[in-house]
Amino acid sequence: MGRRIASLAMDHPRMVFLGTLLLTLLGTALIPLIQIDTDPENMLPADQEDRVRHNLIKEQFNLHDMIVVGVVNESRDEGVFNPRSLGAIHSLSEGIAEIDGVIRRDLLSLATVDNIEQAGPGTIRFEWMMNTPPETPAEAAAIRQATLDLPLFRDTLISGDGEATAIYVPIEAKDQSHRIAGEIEGLIAGLDTDDAFHITGLPVAEDTFGVEMFIQMAISAPLAALVIFALMWWFFRSVTLVVAPMLMAFAVVLTTMGALIGMGFTVHIMSSMIPIFLMPIAVVDSVHIISEFADRYRPDRGARETMAEVMDHLFTPMLYTSITSGIGFASLAFTPIPPVQVFGLFVGAGIVLAFILTVLFIPAYAVRLKPERLEALRAAGSRRPPDDTPLARGLVHLGAFAVGRAKLVVGIFAIALVIAGYGISQITVNDNPVRWFQSDHRIRVADRVLNEHFAGTYSAYLRLESEQAEAAPQRFRTQSRQIIEQARADGVPIGDTWTQLREQAARDADGFRALLETLSLEVEDQLFTADDAAYPWWDELLALIDETRGELNTFQRPGMLRYIADFQAALAESPAVGKVNTVSDLVRTVYRELRSGEAEDYRIPDSRQAVAQTILSFQGSHRPHDLWRMVTPDYRAANLWLQLSSGDNQDMQAVIGRANAYIERNPLPEGVTMSWGGLNYINVVWQDAMVKGMAQSLAIAWVMVALMMLLLFRSLIFGLLAMVPLTVSVALIYGMVGLIGKYYDMPIAVLSSLTLGLSVDFAIHFIERSRENYRRTGNFAESMRQMFKEPARAISRNAIVIAVGFLPLLAAPLVPYNTVGIFLASIMAASAVASVVLLPAIMKLGQRRIMPDRPNASTQSTGEAT
Amino acid sequence: MKHLLTLTCLIVAGLAASTAAAQMTNPVQIVEEANIASYYAGEDGRSAARMLIVDGNDNRQRRQFTLLRKDVADGGDQRYLVVFSRPADIRGTVFRVEKHVGEADDRWLYLPALDLVKRIAAGDKRTSFVGSHFFYEDISGRGTEEDEHSLIDTTDEYYVIESTPKDPDQVEFARYRTWIDRETMLPMRTEYQRASGEVYRRMEVTEVETIDGYPTGTEARMEDLDSGGYTVTQFRFSEYDVGLPDRIFSERSLRNPPRDWLRRD
Repeated sequence: MGRRIASLAMDHPRMVFLGTLLLTLLGTALIPLIQIDTDPENMLPADQEDRVRHNLIKEQFNLHDMIVVGVVNESRDEGVFNPRSLGAIHSLSEGIAEIDGVIRRDLLSLATVDNIEQAGPGTIRFEWMMNTPPETPAEAAAIRQATLDLPLFRDTLISGDGEATAIYVPIEAKDQSHRIAGEIEGLIAGLDTDDAFHITGLPVAEDTFGVEMFIQMAISAPLAALVIFALMWWFFRSVTLVVAPMLMAFAVVLTTMGALIGMGFTVHIMSSMIPIFLMPIAVVDSVHIISEFADRYRPDRGARETMAEVMDHLFTPMLYTSITSGIGFASLAFTPIPPVQVFGLFVGAGIVLAFILTVLFIPAYAVRLKPERLEALRAAGSRRPPDDTPLARGLVHLGAFAVGRAKLVVGIFAIALVIAGYGISQITVNDNPVRWFQSDHRIRVADRVLNEHFAGTYSAYLRLESEQAEAAPQRFRTQSRQIIEQARADGVPIGDTWTQLREQAARDADGFRALLETLSLEVEDQLFTADDAAYPWWDELLALIDETRGELNTFQRPGMLRYIADFQAALAESPAVGKVNTVSDLVRTVYRELRSGEAEDYRIPDSRQAVAQTILSFQGSHRPHDLWRMVTPDYRAANLWLQLSSGDNQDMQAVIGRANAYIERNPLPEGVTMSWGGLNYINVVWQDAMVKGMAQSLAIAWVMVALMMLLLFRSLIFGLLAMVPLTVSVALIYGMVGLIGKYYDMPIAVLSSLTLGLSVDFAIHFIERSRENYRRTGNFAESMRQMFKEPARAISRNAIVIAVGFLPLLAAPLVPYNTVGIFLASIMAASAVASVVLLPAIMKLGQRRIMPDRPNASTQSTGEAT
Repeated sequence: MKHLLTLTCLIVAGLAASTAAAQMTNPVQIVEEANIASYYAGEDGRSAARMLIVDGNDNRQRRQFTLLRKDVADGGDQRYLVVFSRPADIRGTVFRVEKHVGEADDRWLYLPALDLVKRIAAGDKRTSFVGSHFFYEDISGRGTEEDEHSLIDTTDEYYVIESTPKDPDQVEFARYRTWIDRETMLPMRTEYQRASGEVYRRMEVTEVETIDGYPTGTEARMEDLDSGGYTVTQFRFSEYDVGLPDRIFSERSLRNPPRDWLRRD
């Protein structure tokens, strides 16, 4: 098979080159269409239930993603509440309002909000908090006091210590936040101030991340290419030979990325790592081919015949390693997270493409080399005997140790596995997009400073929704009919008039709510003309109408508002919750100012009408629409805005737990349901999906790879043996994650499948070659001795190429890349060691069963030996 | 005085209709006449108003109130009483306004469910009127002396006036343009601009009826172009010179609205 394919390629090298070139050009041509996507929401499919609800809540309450600008002055006692600082903040706020993409009417700053306060006896005042910057320290202090006095602003607009202020900048779309943050920085640079300004908020973090992703692709991927090139040159000492796999790797990377982009997928944090994954994996097969080719080439045999022989020999192991690696990555398609699926499938496809190009391109390239080049190559290779390098000598000793101290080796691994098991039990699942930045990144600094001063820059939304409206029309009909019946029994026939009024109202009004409005007016008219007998019945009907209307306005009822007030107080006790903002705060504050302005009047008024009229007073302010961020205009749903000081998923999870415990003890009023929205909540949802999905995809991939191994080796024992190194590697790596306290986050989660796909390669080569040696020698010890020569060297070289190839990720500016780089290098090391040390040790212990020494073994040698 | 002005008004309107040569050229005079035409028809007036408030998400709220007005002096001080009837929760809520030209108005609010009369401190009048897209100032009129006016265009139908505030700190707009109907002298459209020239707020009178001889805007629409929200106000059962007594504009009226004058006939 391998020989035939290689011959075909060597017969038509021009076609192979042309085909590769065309494919690469096509892929490259598509790359400029690239669309970067850093939105964590996209971790969930667009139609995912929680995500749909999250967006519904945002729309329902006019909520937008926000950039938070914090202003801090730690050198003055009064912080930023001095004329100069406030002047700067005022002009900054005005500047921000003008930026394209900023939702001006919802911009929250000292300069855009209203102050509500007492203005002498019996007088209330609604006015801009800071319409013009203060001119004296006293005026500045007054602004500070007024802001601190308003519960909706305290810890949100002004820090509790009264030293810092924040500007909340709602934006139309998250993908504009980097530009907007840049423009805000431009404005800040032009201010006359010595205050410290910090910009943060999830949208900025995400968008900045997208920009740094480009940097990663522009730096780390080429760097990886360079490192791999240097390594291969070190191994083979021939630029001519090494150029071939490099060209092929570029072809694979460009074609795969082009296909991904051309098929309309966005480049996400995961898929941005595709080049750096494919690069080393793509050259691995070539390393095997070149390695053998360089060893076997003799001028008298010619390049063509040598290559055909090498390909014949390597085709099957290469096919299997490529397919198993492909399966490992493609198994990521079983996670319910679209960016991870795309990443897995395209790396898988890239590996298959790399295999196809390897078996076509490398032979075609070799056969086109001039004989004198090949001769020089051979001469260079023979200058240094392959058995005499430090690596070679080390491997021989290692082999002797593994076989000689098999029990010890297996024992050490067993103990390591037990420790790893404990480590795995210690794993904490947690992620936080802000932590994707290095700890000295200015976004991380801003995040720390602002969350120290304010209630929190992270948001979650808890929605309470009433279903009572659904049942209301039916209940209204039943109850009104009862009144009519009773009236008739009492000898007052008002039924016909009522039916007429109701039908008339039903024709005129659109919706039940409007129908009730119309009906109440009509019934009032009836009351004017009604005689003494009919009056109480009409009065009762009017009461029913009012009551029904009141029921529809669930979140205007004092009882509901009190429930919310208690609920929010309980939530605010959670350490991660800095503050909860609700319609209850607004009603209590306005009520307080309508009454005395004193703390004792900070309460929910006693009747629904009183609540409605309190709200009406608020609606005479500059920003009446602020109300609709807390409650819907039909008062059927209320929104509790939780300000969290941490973006950690585990903290959000704790808050959800607390909310659930609270409603367990204090059941939600009947007909009211609770649901969550907000980016922090979305993060928790996809994290859960990821943990479950990863376990599943790992299990599926493990079974599929195991089946492949059974097929390849046609032996249950060898098939399972091949699974040992990767299983041990995965266990050790995750054990380490748990032991060092690294959070199990997205990059860590995908590592499992990567390990599976990559480390089985070593086992395949080791077992395949061991069995070949054993067939030839019939002697276990001899087979192992040979194993630790050329085969072990090839495995080690490959492990080194891949491990070192991933190391340039350490140069990337973002933490997830660093994580992947470090862990993949460790995985390669762990699985290479498991393959070349643990496998022979286990084989030694089971030698009598799997490779019993044959009596006249040494004579079985064939021409296969090198 | 009042009748003389009305007469002038009618003559001017008549002339304007017949020949473009009789057009007015003094912007201050145009603005003052427009102010009289829209806010000072008759000695007093009564009207039932209905507001439909629609936000950018198509959420709807309704308000219904009766507006009583009595002029102290034409083109000068006025008294207003706004009594709400719908929604039922705010029934009986009353605003009382003593409008003063050249100084801050006096305003009171009565909330029946709280049994509370509260004075609203003098501040700017460009706050929302009961949650609608109209401001207080749109309901009771903006003092013509608060802006500089210039006539930037005269078309067959309209005088187009551009007004810039004398004290820009007190208002959120940089300037506004008003299209004043040359025949009725009613401002038919007003567009508020930011410094950049962007129009962010627009008022349009969409229906005019002549009531008791006075052209009256009976439907007006205020749009917030930033959010896409708007409010439509319809005035029905409008009447002028009904003879409203002074006592109904007193503090006492807040707690005991003058029922006789609120009933629609």
